[in-house]
Amino acid sequence: MTEPHYPISEYLKTPIAIVGSRGEIHWHNRSFYNAFGNDAAHWLQQAARAVGGERGWLEDFFVPGDDTRSIDVDFEGRTYRIDKVRDVDEYENAVALLFEDVTVQREMEQAKSDFTAQIVHDLRGPLSGIQGTLEFVLSQEGNKIDSLYTDLLQEAQRESERMMNLINELLDFSKIQSGSFTVETEPVRVAGLLKRAVRSLQSVAARDEVFLLSAYGRDIPQIIGSVEKLTQAVINLISNSLKFTPKKGLISVGAQIVRNGDVPESIVITVTDSGMGIKAAELQKIWEKYKQSATKSIRGGSGTGLGLYIVRQIVEAHGGEVTVASVEGVGTSMVLKLPVKRVTNNSGSFAALAP
Amino acid sequence: MSSVASPQAPPKPDWSRLVADSIKQHGLWHTFHKLIEARAAYPDDLSLRGYAEILRNNIVRDFVAHPKGMQAVPKLTADFLTNFDRFNLSAQEGYLVSLIDGRMDIQKLLILSPFDPFTTLFTLAKLQNERAISVPQ
Repeated sequence: MTEPHYPISEYLKTPIAIVGSRGEIHWHNRSFYNAFGNDAAHWLQQAARAVGGERGWLEDFFVPGDDTRSIDVDFEGRTYRIDKVRDVDEYENAVALLFEDVTVQREMEQAKSDFTAQIVHDLRGPLSGIQGTLEFVLSQEGNKIDSLYTDLLQEAQRESERMMNLINELLDFSKIQSGSFTVETEPVRVAGLLKRAVRSLQSVAARDEVFLLSAYGRDIPQIIGSVEKLTQAVINLISNSLKFTPKKGLISVGAQIVRNGDVPESIVITVTDSGMGIKAAELQKIWEKYKQSATKSIRGGSGTGLGLYIVRQIVEAHGGEVTVASVEGVGTSMVLKLPVKRVTNNSGSFAALAP
Repeated sequence: MSSVASPQAPPKPDWSRLVADSIKQHGLWHTFHKLIEARAAYPDDLSLRGYAEILRNNIVRDFVAHPKGMQAVPKLTADFLTNFDRFNLSAQEGYLVSLIDGRMDIQKLLILSPFDPFTTLFTLAKLQNERAISVPQ
């Protein structure tokens, strides 16, 4: 099986193999044999088969035009991050794959994630108590609190909301990093989730004197995915728009059906604001973690720089894509495209997407 | 590596700059119509949908910026009443026009309209732009 024409790869410590689309191994280096032994052939053949409608993970490396695929796969108690190096022309329909053992790295990520999750959980409890108390005091009819104190209490309420958002973003981020942020495969009524997202921020928009309007009909088809995660993605986008939209501005939340003939192929969700816009040079960076627009929020305070990164992770885990349109001084539109029929993914989780 | 761009795909324009320039020179409605035309040439450009939404959003924002806000009362124009066949209304526009009686304010129209609030306001803004209705101050 070992052939003489890949001499450098032969001595690399990272396992490398040239694998065909049916799981056949055309060539491998010594490290590959040391790591997987003779079991690899059977393992890869299994990975090439579709079982119960779910295609094997190996098929993902044979998607035309996708040369950046990376997947984490478990094998006999260890986790391997498999990266496609390149197509190999010497063999018919074959790719060179790199099998990096990331078991220790994943365990450390998990430990870090568990620690963050515990801290975040411990912070959320008392903060919920503060929020509940403030809400109770401010909602008392005919209360005799001086208007100065009312203003201060409202400010405290706003800041506690902001802190809760930051905490929730940290929690989601730690889940993404650890690969435990799974996507359910339940039917999702898109109109319902948009309605819920708009409703949850309607009072905040009213307080900030921003119009928040729905822009979708009732005929939006269902998709398969996670109601909770997708609702959260839309809420993140609306919250983001609220930060940059001035008084009397308008935020609209829309959904359009993209058809292939008569068949709905995908749904495009847009969250559009009449805010300050984003500089052209920053447009593609905003989806990266810790990246924030240089434009200062109208309502003060800065975020974690994770909100839009989390949105992108959620949408991509649903087989969708994200983009942004923005004109400085005119407004911004965040665009999410979700397939009506979810593209099946072996893991169905964020593990495959975690960096 | 086989990441070769499709030979039919035209290079993606700098929409952000083009839209900004067009709004300055020709206004929101003209730019909006141009973007809708551009969608035929760039059907797979997802960001183009976003730019069209920015325009729609600003058109509706300007419409609700009326001094009376949602309490403003739209009226059919004399031009529409005498030459309504010239206006070539869509079914959606026709339905909304049928609700306008010169007494009902925008708030009530939103409640009665079977369309979502944004679409209703956008359609009213379009009717106003085409001078089928006016919204007196």
